[in-house]
Amino acid sequence: MTEGMTATARLAPWRRSPVASLGLYGHFIRLAFLKFLAYRLRYYTGVVSYTIFVAGHYYLYLALYAGRAAEGLGATVGGLTVREMITYVAISWIGRSLYFNNISRDLARMVTEGEIAMHLIKPFHLQSVMMAEAVGEAGFRLIMFTIPIMLVVVPVFHVGAPAGAAALLWTLVSFALSLVIYSQLSFLVGCLAFAMKNIQGVLRAQMVGMDFLTGVIVPFTFFPLWFQSAVNWLPFQCISYVPVMIYLGKRTGPALVEGILLQVAWAVGLTIAARLVWRYSTRRVTVQGG
Amino acid sequence: MEPLIHVHDLCKDYRLTDRREGVRGGLRDLVSPRRRDLRAVDRVSFDIAPGEMVGYIGANGAGKSTTIKMLTGILTPSAGEITVGGMVPWRQRQQYTRHIGVVFGQRTQLWWDLAVVESFRLLKKIYEVDDATYDRQMKLLDELLDIGKLLSQPVRKLSLGQRMRCDLAAALLHQPRVLFLDEPTIGLDVVAKENIRGFLRGVQEREGVTVILTTHDLGDIEQLCRRVIIIDQGRVHFDGELAELRRRVGQSVRLSVDLRDPAASADLAAVTAGLPVHWDDENGLRHVARFNRAEVRAADVIRLVVNDRPVQDLHLAEQPIEEVVREIYRQAAAGNADAEAAK
Repeated sequence: MTEGMTATARLAPWRRSPVASLGLYGHFIRLAFLKFLAYRLRYYTGVVSYTIFVAGHYYLYLALYAGRAAEGLGATVGGLTVREMITYVAISWIGRSLYFNNISRDLARMVTEGEIAMHLIKPFHLQSVMMAEAVGEAGFRLIMFTIPIMLVVVPVFHVGAPAGAAALLWTLVSFALSLVIYSQLSFLVGCLAFAMKNIQGVLRAQMVGMDFLTGVIVPFTFFPLWFQSAVNWLPFQCISYVPVMIYLGKRTGPALVEGILLQVAWAVGLTIAARLVWRYSTRRVTVQGG
Repeated sequence: MEPLIHVHDLCKDYRLTDRREGVRGGLRDLVSPRRRDLRAVDRVSFDIAPGEMVGYIGANGAGKSTTIKMLTGILTPSAGEITVGGMVPWRQRQQYTRHIGVVFGQRTQLWWDLAVVESFRLLKKIYEVDDATYDRQMKLLDELLDIGKLLSQPVRKLSLGQRMRCDLAAALLHQPRVLFLDEPTIGLDVVAKENIRGFLRGVQEREGVTVILTTHDLGDIEQLCRRVIIIDQGRVHFDGELAELRRRVGQSVRLSVDLRDPAASADLAAVTAGLPVHWDDENGLRHVARFNRAEVRAADVIRLVVNDRPVQDLHLAEQPIEEVVREIYRQAAAGNADAEAAK
């Protein structure tokens, strides 16, 4: 009798199996894909703005290279010919259209508005949920955004072909890793909202700083050597610079392997770091309105 | 019996930053901000047995939502302990939340952009509800909450009452052992409130789920809970049977009557003679009757008065929870003073 009573006052231990986890997070991937599909109209204007970004750089670099040629300074800048430079810019922006997402902004909003509480009462890990949603979003972006941008940008600006079939394959693998690195980094930035009252400035700095430090705006080869060796120690170059250099055939053999391994290391490292920061933050969370 | 929920000396401090005045004060704030701790929950202790339905009430800022947030694993306590069914909510959050259902009246746990049914399918995966249980629960919840025709609509298009029904269904889909309801009837009209109360009574009786309910609405408590815990300024001021609370607080219902012709309170008292009703005169035309709902039916008072003399208007109101809390608080203070005097 007493035994039975005791049993009713206990909650059964529970753990989600790896297979069930795959099913659950797979479901989040699918839902995110469908959600973005419902909002696809927003992205048509994005195709235009990405084309304008690339066009701006295109004419800038044409003028730069023409000017240097006129002064007899050689046909390459920072080791890239004008054709490679334009390809660099175009592939950078095409890649960005794929891996970009708003995890930091969304997480920060959930924290400042207190909506985070509704996620903390569910038996899942929000970091994994947001990563799964980022994958779903990337799937949508690939089909409805990145490919349309490619179809416009590649013929219009005479973007160079990849350095070979292997280079193309590794570029795709590399951009997939970019998505993980970008998303985990963004999740880490979003966690700052737990500690800060106003995170808008940080989010804006992240937007601009990421595009600069990833090498999307200006290739690293333009910068002084000390700067180049400094960014080598940061995760940002793994987001855009590494995959684009693979595409251009500037990273082959051991350098390619090294680049991919570096990406994997950052992806794993940032995932673990984000998990630890999340754990620390949620344990000292103060939810608004209570 | 071993308690399902055990709370002992629970505390939660919030760190506040006070701002100084003026430009100089602002600059000093940059260098050395003035911080102080606010104790939102102060050494709260209680035990709740399996199957109990407990009302946890208090005024705004009394600490009730903070307590619920600690019980649901959202907040980490500053001190003290909580165990629910042997688990520590904030430490074993993932496996703990598998067993609980939570409804925050002010927020939804449904996915805003999705149709309601998509949220339920997702919850099915999140809580690992098998197909047979899912079908059975959905059928049952539809019968009780009438959510069938809402399923295909996006959550953002639902009215507050519809959304609350869906949220309740969402909290119960996985058959939780413990249900936390934070202001589940807030902002709802009378009919919707009644529906939700009826539903909660049914669930509690049928499934024996343990329920903790916070509310502003004394009606919720009176119709649902046998046991009440009152918290004010972070401390427990009353923990006991609702009947005991009623006895201590006394008249909880107030009926104001606007007469066509002036009268004295004594005249009205004569009309309701025999019933424990207390009359107050406001201005000769308006009189307020106070009585205890447990002892007197409002309908009887109204009938007696209306049959006796012409009445312009009637207004029936529950004593606001703030007053009940204040009354309990006052009694506690008086009790302490007596104890001091006795020494």
